Amino acid sequence: MKNEMTLSFVAIEENEALARMAMTCFITPLDPTIEEISEFKTIVSEAVTNAIIHGYNCDGKSLVTLHATMDDEKVMMTVRDEGAGIQNIEQAMEPMYTTLPHMERSGMGFTIMESFSDHLSVQSTIGSGTVVKFEKRFSPVTETSRMG
Amino acid sequence: MANIEMTDSGLLIVTLYGELDNHEANGIRTQLSSAIFSGQVRAVIWDLKNLGFMDSSGIGLILGRMRDLAPFGGETFILNPSVTMEKIFSFSGLEKNVRHCTVEDVMREMGGVLYEK
Ligand SMILES: Nc1ncnc2c1ncn2[C@@H]1O[C@H](COP(=O)(O)OP(=O)(O)O)[C@@H](O)[C@H]1O
Ligand SMILES: [Mg+2]
Repeated sequence: MKNEMTLSFVAIEENEALARMAMTCFITPLDPTIEEISEFKTIVSEAVTNAIIHGYNCDGKSLVTLHATMDDEKVMMTVRDEGAGIQNIEQAMEPMYTTLPHMERSGMGFTIMESFSDHLSVQSTIGSGTVVKFEKRFSPVTETSRMG
Repeated sequence: MANIEMTDSGLLIVTLYGELDNHEANGIRTQLSSAIFSGQVRAVIWDLKNLGFMDSSGIGLILGRMRDLAPFGGETFILNPSVTMEKIFSFSGLEKNVRHCTVEDVMREMGGVLYEK
């Protein structure tokens, strides 16, 4: 099945759950395993949370935009904000690196996104925003998994 | 959502439900920090058996409480995470705190009785 979607929402923390829920519905036709679903949800949650809190400082008015396409075995997705941007992407992607330690961010977001996706890339410009792009492959639907 | 209980022997039991993300973690943090500073907490037991989802915000929450406990030498137990959550704990160096057992098993090991509510 081929499908494509775009979803935008304002930068409030409540929309982290909205994003996970919408994206979980989107991938249902791929008949994902429980682990595939939870890894995919985690990537979405990390990228969306970053856009809301780091990109927009939860301003409640700027938009985070998700775009996704799907074919029979994989989902390609972008999470975009037009917010603060990242000074040094390489450093930001290091495990345990966070610019908000006082808010108890763990700095593990990018490490998790990289581990749970098949391809991940980050583009960012200070003052104009960040785009996180990733791909996740899903195990093909077989007769046994359908009956499972 | 979190249910927080304290035993007479200083074990803080945090049972988590639903989805633990940044928004949820911010709500639970306040409740927990006051519990830790108000008593002599010997250990925090996080029971994740009923938790459906967790992202790196859960790591921030647990590491933060480990920091609160450090001056008192308190221990941290993370019980029954899902396969995906266990991977996240491993990336974060917390695999040594993970156990697959019941809260009662840990309580027996640590000593103590649960307060009647
Ligand atoms: N969308 C974004 N806009 C601005 N900065 C970002 C964005 N995403 C990530 N960052 C920066 O990268 C750092 C690391 O991100 P991450 O690994 O998710 O850890 P954490 O969110 O716990 O800080 C963040 O602390 C922040 O400085
Ligand atoms: Mg993050």
